[in-house]
Amino acid sequence: MTEFLQQLLNGVLLGAIYALIALGYTMVYGVLRFINFAHSDVFMLGAFVAWYSVEKLGLPTQSIGGGLAALLLSMSVCAVLGVVIEKLAYKPLRQRSTLTVLITAIGVSLLIQNVAQNSRLGFGPNPKAFPALFPSQQLHFGALTVSTHQLVVLGVALSLLGVLYWIVHHTRIGTAMRAVSFNATAASLVGINNDRIISFTFGLGSALAGAGGVLYAMNYPSIDPLMGTLPGLKAFVAAVLGGIGNLPGAALGGLLIGLVETFVSGTRLSTFRDAIAFGILIAILLFRPAGLLGKLKVEKV
Amino acid sequence: MVFPVAQRWLLAALILAWVASAVSSSIDPYFLDVVMGVGVSVVLASSLNLINGFTGQFSLGHAGFMAVGAYTSAMLTTVVAPRLGWHPVLLQWVFFPLSLIAAGLLAAVAGLAVGAPSLRLKGDYLAIVTLGFGEIIRVVLQNMDMVGGARGLTGVPAYSNLFWTFGTAALTVYTVWALLNSTHGRGFLAVADDEVAAEAMGLDTTRYKITAFGIGAFFAGVAGGLYAHLKGYLNPGGFSFDKSIEIVVMVILGGMGRHAGVVFAAILLTLLPEGLRELGSRSVPNPFGGAAWSLDWIKEMRMILYSLMLIVLMLMRPQGLFHRSERRRRGA
Amino acid sequence: MSASLLQLTDVTIRFGGLTAVSSVTADVREGELAGLIGPNGAGKTTLFNLITGVYQPTEGRIEFAGASTAGAKPFHLTERGIARTFQNIRLFPSLSVSDNVRVAFHRHLEHRTWQSWLRGGRFHAEEAELRERTRELLSLFNLERVQEAPAKSLSYGDQRRLEIVRALATGPRLLLLDEPAAGMNPSEKDELMRLIRFVRDRFRLAVLLVEHDMKVVMGICERIHVLEYGRKIAEGSPEEIRVDPKVIAAYLGD
Ligand SMILES: Nc1ncnc2c1ncn2[C@@H]1O[C@H](COP(=O)(O)OP(=O)(O)OP(=O)(O)O)[C@@H](O)[C@H]1O
Ligand SMILES: [Mg+2]
Repeated sequence: MTEFLQQLLNGVLLGAIYALIALGYTMVYGVLRFINFAHSDVFMLGAFVAWYSVEKLGLPTQSIGGGLAALLLSMSVCAVLGVVIEKLAYKPLRQRSTLTVLITAIGVSLLIQNVAQNSRLGFGPNPKAFPALFPSQQLHFGALTVSTHQLVVLGVALSLLGVLYWIVHHTRIGTAMRAVSFNATAASLVGINNDRIISFTFGLGSALAGAGGVLYAMNYPSIDPLMGTLPGLKAFVAAVLGGIGNLPGAALGGLLIGLVETFVSGTRLSTFRDAIAFGILIAILLFRPAGLLGKLKVEKV
Repeated sequence: MVFPVAQRWLLAALILAWVASAVSSSIDPYFLDVVMGVGVSVVLASSLNLINGFTGQFSLGHAGFMAVGAYTSAMLTTVVAPRLGWHPVLLQWVFFPLSLIAAGLLAAVAGLAVGAPSLRLKGDYLAIVTLGFGEIIRVVLQNMDMVGGARGLTGVPAYSNLFWTFGTAALTVYTVWALLNSTHGRGFLAVADDEVAAEAMGLDTTRYKITAFGIGAFFAGVAGGLYAHLKGYLNPGGFSFDKSIEIVVMVILGGMGRHAGVVFAAILLTLLPEGLRELGSRSVPNPFGGAAWSLDWIKEMRMILYSLMLIVLMLMRPQGLFHRSERRRRGA
Repeated sequence: MSASLLQLTDVTIRFGGLTAVSSVTADVREGELAGLIGPNGAGKTTLFNLITGVYQPTEGRIEFAGASTAGAKPFHLTERGIARTFQNIRLFPSLSVSDNVRVAFHRHLEHRTWQSWLRGGRFHAEEAELRERTRELLSLFNLERVQEAPAKSLSYGDQRRLEIVRALATGPRLLLLDEPAAGMNPSEKDELMRLIRFVRDRFRLAVLLVEHDMKVVMGICERIHVLEYGRKIAEGSPEEIRVDPKVIAAYLGD
């Protein structure tokens, strides 16, 4: 039972992180209808910014203030980066085919990874030990062990989801975002500046990915330039699972993937855990291609 | 009966490959390796071109099919072949090609398994599912102790030579070309252009797409077999998503659905990294005297240049580098 | 009076809450030139999609040449002899004009796909014959002058006519034309009317024509079915339809 609760907790935490990343995929898909492959690398950079702010800028470790500062810095840098990537690489391709944009996104992803792996321009290929950003301590609730870091992950993830919900549903720009993703042409006809909304969406999604990167790194001993690939792909699966373009769907999908993966890791199939997400993806696309919460669009002939 | 022109070209290519392989002992082994690598790339790119270029699907899982083929043929030549007690010449000239065919067939089965359920999907969804299948294949290989698991498989005999690599390359190019240049084959292009209209013209679009996946995967599997017997060892990590992208880039650079363009791009993109690696190991004399300048940085910058090239290509010439010329000829 | 080639019985299709076609019973006779009219959104194109297997009816039966079409995919129905054109032109834009037609001919070939790999005598003979038939068909419609051009480079009127040629190449017994005159000028429309009659006589097939231009419909159709909001409100000769109060009401919008 304790074992189960422990796994449940771990699963929820992992799921919360996947949810943060998945939201970025889903928001971008909502406004631009393409898979932003570079999203997983923004996630990686988020972790590296936090590392950098401690190792090079000297932010204190093991402190709530320092931890939050590193987190905010990561989110800001990632937000700016997301906006810049969109402006430079995707904006010129607005009228092109999905595949052209997809390949460009793959190119951007490769570029970020390779620059990051380069020792002169980036961080070098070797893994880096990730510092303890927040005070770390083990808390015991009966037989259950919870680390303060896990609590931070949960707290931060939930607050961010709350903030996102507020932005999307209770601000002007959030309403505009929903309008663009509902029907971009109609939105521009009623005077919404689509480009500005797209930039905002990229910034917002990238900030969430950055936060996801920091939270992810906190529970792993080290970070490296390729660390984004697998969590990124799984988060994408989560977005599809929930119904791409659907925000609550992405959160739900993230949670489910996190739980499934954690429970599979506890069994004999643990070495297959990286394949599980793809198995789920394929099953979903075959049996419920619109995802759990999404609506299917039929092509008119 | 007159021998059709296309088959004459194929025959000429095979004879040339044969002659080249006969004199290959006098070629520098490093150079030979590179040249054979080019042959393998041509097979991979041309076969993917059938799926992504001509049929308008989007597979990001070609490395997965290649892996299935590589492991199949390597297992046959390392585990089965030694028990037969055949003469080495027979092994290389009879058993090896059979193992390549087995590799292709098993990869084709994998291709059909991927193709069949994926066909309802389009564009980026299809890309992601095939990517997922490719990754699943890799993870499964990593977990199979029989094939060495994550450590990999070593001691694969060096049966690949110029004849097998170039012969296969010529055969692949011929096959894709011959298929496309026929009324039935035009169906692949029609499916790529408009599925609803293709279906309304009596084309079984599902069958076309599955056929493309099957044939494409077959040749990817054969390429995998050639690759295994070229490198001498296999490692599941070598068949990751990056490898699939590499092949996709060849097809895109060559101009999606252009026969010669894609072959040319495969050659270029295989030679380029080797050229840069070679350049990186040199140094240029320092014009100001003193120690020579090392070009070592080129080695490090290779992948960065590659990704930059990809982005710039998509921004400037998404139709590929070799698009116009071939189209004009076809339209004439 | 000839037998029904196509028979629709109580055909209904719903998309979510919307009933696009509601309990329609209609038929097209062998060799007939029939019309299908109705205001925008009446369900005409949807009916075509039901007949060609793009959609399956929620209720009701469709029979073609005496056999049910339930569960058949569009390409099966094309093989059984139904061909169509599309309201929003759907040619194969990157293929040449002759390849557009050639592809549609493919089901008349004796040789199989793999034989194009061997490229034997039979392959070459059949391909040569097919090239000839393609050229003939194109020349009937005065399109052989552009046969090597990509389909997308054609003028609008030529594209509409190429769609008809392509549909004919499948060898249909029933040809469905969805607004073939859309975007044409009066002289092109006259030419089209002549062409549709010619096609029906020459290839001995039945035509079901959807068209908004009343002059075209009344000019060539022998019998007309009228749809409004998915329901069939009238059927009869052009003379009858012209004076039918329900049809007039539907078009005047009250
Ligand atoms: N796939 C679909 N999903 C949902 N609704 C559909 C679909 N196809 C058609 N409809 C709806 O069915 C109704 C009938 O449309 P249809 O295209 O058949 O009309 P039409 O008579 O061809 O009109 P027009 O003269 O404008 O071409 C419309 O309200 C349309 O929006
Ligand atoms: Mg219509």
